Amino acid sequence: MLAIEVDRLTKSFVLPSKRIVEAVRAITLSVEQGERLAYIGPNGAGKSTSIKILTGILHPTTGDAQVLGFVPWRQRKELARNIGVLFGQRSQLWFQLTPMQSYKLLGAIYGLSREELERRIDEYGSLLEAAALFDIPVRNLSLGQRMRCELTASLLHSPRVLFLDEPTIGLDLVAKQRFRELIVRLNEHKGTTVFLTSHDVSDIEQVAKRVIVINHGQIIYDDKVSVMKRSLLRTKLMEVRFDEPPGAIDIDGVQVLKSTDMGFKLSVDTEARSIKHVLDELLDRYSVGDISVLDPPLEEVISKIYETPRR
Amino acid sequence: MNPYLAAFVSGMRRTVAPGELIVRVGFYAVILVVFAAVWNAAMAANGGEVAGYGFAGILWYIAAAEAAQVATNARMIEDIGNDIGNGTVAIELLRPVSVVGLRLASEVGGAVVRLAGTCALAALFVPLAAGPPPSWNGVGLAIPSLVLAVCCNLAAQHAFAGIAFWLEDAKSAWFLYQKLIFLLGGMLLPLELLPDAMSGAARLLPFWAMSYAPGRLMAGYVEPWLLLLQVGWLVAMVGAAVAVFSSGERRLQAVGG
Repeated sequence: MLAIEVDRLTKSFVLPSKRIVEAVRAITLSVEQGERLAYIGPNGAGKSTSIKILTGILHPTTGDAQVLGFVPWRQRKELARNIGVLFGQRSQLWFQLTPMQSYKLLGAIYGLSREELERRIDEYGSLLEAAALFDIPVRNLSLGQRMRCELTASLLHSPRVLFLDEPTIGLDLVAKQRFRELIVRLNEHKGTTVFLTSHDVSDIEQVAKRVIVINHGQIIYDDKVSVMKRSLLRTKLMEVRFDEPPGAIDIDGVQVLKSTDMGFKLSVDTEARSIKHVLDELLDRYSVGDISVLDPPLEEVISKIYETPRR
Repeated sequence: MNPYLAAFVSGMRRTVAPGELIVRVGFYAVILVVFAAVWNAAMAANGGEVAGYGFAGILWYIAAAEAAQVATNARMIEDIGNDIGNGTVAIELLRPVSVVGLRLASEVGGAVVRLAGTCALAALFVPLAAGPPPSWNGVGLAIPSLVLAVCCNLAAQHAFAGIAFWLEDAKSAWFLYQKLIFLLGGMLLPLELLPDAMSGAARLLPFWAMSYAPGRLMAGYVEPWLLLLQVGWLVAMVGAAVAVFSSGERRLQAVGG
């Protein structure tokens, strides 16, 4: 059964200069219930505009969409009872209150009985490993802790679809990893449909099973993440600082992109050689001072999409 | 619990928790002390009465008129304008309740706590400075009038702040609103002390319902019809706030949040 159906959705904005900007251009897509979809693209690609239309905040210029059978911009309040939305750069908790006090207010907003609210707070507190944070004022929580509390707030009314707009932005690596695991766990335990926007390639790899890439308001790629990994995410970047000049770097599957005396930027073809093997060889053969492994920027992935012939 | 009642309780909690209440009540104490000194001198120079108000009457007037103002968030127009401009209000549209209703309920909750603090201080200070209230019947009417004044003020601020849906900034609206309350609301002086034309104009506008009405009742003028007019202005201001937000929300849907 479909959770989201979108048909030739377009959104144009008229700027003060009277110039018309097409933020979303004739997008058509569908999402099955229980899917984990990454909806990715660079800044300004139209991701947030799409989410705002699908949650009822924005009215499209043309086209149709249904989320759980509701037309978002016409049935915003009915839809709001069935979806959860988490914006990475916006808080839905009240800063002067504790998360628990915010949850009680949200429980009243969504018409939950006290017993039901307490049961859900316990359930999500345990599932998201956040229960110990619920009595700390929101202003005293770290960003990572707050995001777990925000996620709990988004889930209290047991939404069937969860929209996540850049939920990992600003989080450190450990917090990002933990957050991604929680989303996957939530989807597996509760069957919640996940619609995730991000411009972080790791979010796609670790959370989603399907990926849609949007650029300049248009869908340019729609496939399984496993397929994307094989065809487009074959490389990882490594930044290495050596303690002494290493001379030439000669490791299979590794290409030097940039170098100074001691610092090298390497591209690793992970299909040819695993990251573990490359790390082992670097550490065995050279005197390495510091090393970091990075995902290729999304812009690079998008360039590859344009270069790759469509199936 | 009803969501708006829950927001009211949450607003009370937010106000009670931090030191904001202490600062406000302290500021209110300074106002009372300064006005007591000023009006004491003014009354002495005018034979003990100005426009029908004796010293006790005018100090109880000031206590009530200022309490109604100190209890409300004076910069709320600016805050709401910022929330509209930075997209916070757009996010609030994702809740299945009225955005303006929830905001108003929460603000009224906070204001009621502040009102209790200011009234408690006035009950201690004014009898010492000027004696008991001129009429206990007036006090009985002034208490609901204070609550109506605060509600009316908050609703009007929401209506004024809605300008940010179109102008992306409510600072100009806040500036204008403050001056209107100050001059035409009876916050500084009873309307009887204004020039006739200005007093007449002030009585046609809603601002007197936010300061003058509880002050007049507290000063011993038992005029129950003031409460009825306040209720009328409250209905009008809530209606205006709801209309402005509904229209603003449609604009957000058209141009983005």
